[in-house]
Amino acid sequence: GRDVQVVDPEVRAHIYSLVTALGGFNGEDASKYCLGDDALACLRDIKKWLRLYDDKTNRLDVARCLGESNLVNGDLLPILAHWRENNGHTKKHLTRIALACLELLVPLTWPVEIHSQMTVNHHRHTPYLQQSQVNYKRGILDKNAGLETLRAVIQIGLPSLALSRSDRTNRDEGILKLMLYIFRNVAMISPPRGLAAEGDEEETSRSATINAFQEQDIFALLLTISSNMGDDFSFQDVILLEILFHLVKGIDVQKLFMNDVQRSVKRKDELSDLLRKETGVKREYSKNAPTRHGRFGTMIWVKRDDAKVSTVSGQDVLKDGQVALNKMDQTKKWNRPRHHGRRQEVEVASGDFNLTTHLTSTATKTLRTFVEEFLDTGFNPLFTHVRKAIEREADRVLDIHTRQFLYLVSWFLQAERVRHSTRRKEHEKNKGTSREFEPDSYSIVASVLNQETFVFLNRAMQYSFDQKDWQDLNANMRCFTQILLTVQEMAASPLEEDQEIAENIQNRIFYEETTHDRILAMVRGYNEQGLGYLDACTELLHVFVRMLENYSKENVDMQIRSKRRARRAAKEASEKNGTENDEENASENEDIADAARVTRERTFDFKRFAARFCNQKTIDTFVKFTTYYRELDDEQLKRAHRFFYRVAFKQEMSILLMRVDILNIFYRMIKGPGALDNSKPIYRDWEELVKQLTRRMTKKLDQRSSLITEMLFSKINSTLYFLEYGQEKQTISLG
Amino acid sequence: APDTATPVLGLDADLKATKQRVPTAKLDESRLLSQNGIPKLRKNAKTKLKFKGKGHEFSDLGRLLNFYQLWLDDLYPRAKFADGLGIIEKLGHSKRVQIMRREWIDEDKLTRRD
Repeated sequence: GRDVQVVDPEVRAHIYSLVTALGGFNGEDASKYCLGDDALACLRDIKKWLRLYDDKTNRLDVARCLGESNLVNGDLLPILAHWRENNGHTKKHLTRIALACLELLVPLTWPVEIHSQMTVNHHRHTPYLQQSQVNYKRGILDKNAGLETLRAVIQIGLPSLALSRSDRTNRDEGILKLMLYIFRNVAMISPPRGLAAEGDEEETSRSATINAFQEQDIFALLLTISSNMGDDFSFQDVILLEILFHLVKGIDVQKLFMNDVQRSVKRKDELSDLLRKETGVKREYSKNAPTRHGRFGTMIWVKRDDAKVSTVSGQDVLKDGQVALNKMDQTKKWNRPRHHGRRQEVEVASGDFNLTTHLTSTATKTLRTFVEEFLDTGFNPLFTHVRKAIEREADRVLDIHTRQFLYLVSWFLQAERVRHSTRRKEHEKNKGTSREFEPDSYSIVASVLNQETFVFLNRAMQYSFDQKDWQDLNANMRCFTQILLTVQEMAASPLEEDQEIAENIQNRIFYEETTHDRILAMVRGYNEQGLGYLDACTELLHVFVRMLENYSKENVDMQIRSKRRARRAAKEASEKNGTENDEENASENEDIADAARVTRERTFDFKRFAARFCNQKTIDTFVKFTTYYRELDDEQLKRAHRFFYRVAFKQEMSILLMRVDILNIFYRMIKGPGALDNSKPIYRDWEELVKQLTRRMTKKLDQRSSLITEMLFSKINSTLYFLEYGQEKQTISLG
Repeated sequence: APDTATPVLGLDADLKATKQRVPTAKLDESRLLSQNGIPKLRKNAKTKLKFKGKGHEFSDLGRLLNFYQLWLDDLYPRAKFADGLGIIEKLGHSKRVQIMRREWIDEDKLTRRD
């Protein structure tokens, strides 16, 4: 291993000598860290090496050497602890050293990610650095050593923090930035996927981070800064956003707001659920398991048409013809080559929120308290500020921030809703004993329920859809879904003010036809973007349609603003002109059409809207979603079920579902192998749906023999009506 | 001497025999529309496929799926059921198959009118 020189030996020698000269544990008292004589100069030299060698020549060599020489855990952290414990902040020299340590910690913990412009060196060092960063994080969070590094970092930042914004120099702002970035880095570092973790993973988990943040008052600091955003703080908004994002991404809001009893009940439920699932699998296996030894050697013939036979082996096939047919299919070796389209772009781990993270119960409690306090004080100022910064395209804003902003909005809105409902439930439980219940207003999240946010959201949604930025779009859809759900809650709120606002928002959301079109387009646009996207877009459509239906029922004379090209009018106009040059005519036509792209209001007809999502593409998306049925939870299965129900029976378009591959999936869901758990209520729903659908299908097959071939294909619009109703569509012909 | 002579007609040169790969059978339009394909499906459906109707929905559905599976296995034994269905669905978008689909439906309409 050592034969290959991954780093220039001279560079390594330089770095090692600097690290050695920095100091060590070898004075009179071996437990006390002794600073070297020129410690400050050493630290500055190391910083120079990082900047002038690594950054300028685009390598990671120095970072690697520093990782190998254990600089962070061996020197920097002990120096910081020593400084904090010995009232170092009163000594100017020591404070400078502490700051220099922080200046090294930040770049060393800066996330190394796989990106598109990597050199050979990057590829060589990235896995090593990711591992060593996890070690750094372990050192920083280490409770047993009692270092309290994070608290020391706050102490470095305190003098600058205490100044008012106008008094802060550039240096002060820089220190604040360093301070916040180290928190972000700590929150963000996680064991790299696919690499075996060294040591205890618990020590670097999200729960450990949250606990350390609580113990060392980081949460208090975050709350202070975010609630004073716009007054005393301004440039820190996006870093704060990142910290929050990395703290809460992938955490289940529902579980967060349960108390211990509920959580343990829920956990028991989950456990018994899993156990039941497992026994189900076992039962299914034992049903078909061989009753004799593996070499018993049974073989059967399946008689087929034209005096042909197929042979299938195994005892299980004796019992049931269905098993034999399944086995015939399973034993085929060829798989249809899947075309994956463009290769999936390398997903930046920093923006991934699709993985669920579990917390320990202490961490849950801690985080819940923080989230509630943040909602009460910091939410509005911070999110307004960030939104404005993104809109203004401020220099500090990166592309990733839009995604993080949207995800956080959706997460906190859900948190707020869940908090409301838990409070209401608690009140109902304590009825009589507690005093009059005061319903909370939703004004503490008002900053994301205003017109500006909707404009922002719409634009972001359209943009990421056009740019095919699926992760962004995913965050967008989640955000929109949560806004819709929040508005729905508000409309049901006992506070008159909330109701009024909700009414207003709904007016605005449903007024624009472009929104309706976009949501349909997003569901239709599914093309191998993964389960996360499927989940988000189907949920959005489900929630949107349900609310739109209710709304249009209540507001019978609902109007929407629709943009329609006035093509015909333009054509007539040009015909009158009678220009001879065709080409010129055509382009002129376009111009006129563009000019005449009128926006006008028309009455909204829910039936027509619902008919628009009864198309093959949308159904294909939902079918793709349903193919994951073994991993979906009840709520997701319900969503798919309601959609198919609506298509088949409310819209009378059951013909769209009559395709052999769809029916095949449905059949497997009910009858197996790998069927849904039949003790659950959702199973009954699906069973009923498939039953009704089959009934219709057999009837149709009797009436229309051409269906037997059409069942293989997606239906064509022109023949759809005939297949469904058995007659041509009556069209009114003029003249 | 004969070995110094220039090779006549390239007869002395080493012959390289490259074996052509046997092309794998594809499930394409012509196979789908061949005698073994959809015509057979249509013929068999009239005689072999009987449903029991109400109360037997799932066995009916299972029968229908088996019917298709066996037909597909005859037509193109290589592919698994789900894969084969996917290929056929895709073929349904081609011009030729679409024209045929129209024809079958029109036939259906005519018999209904009679």
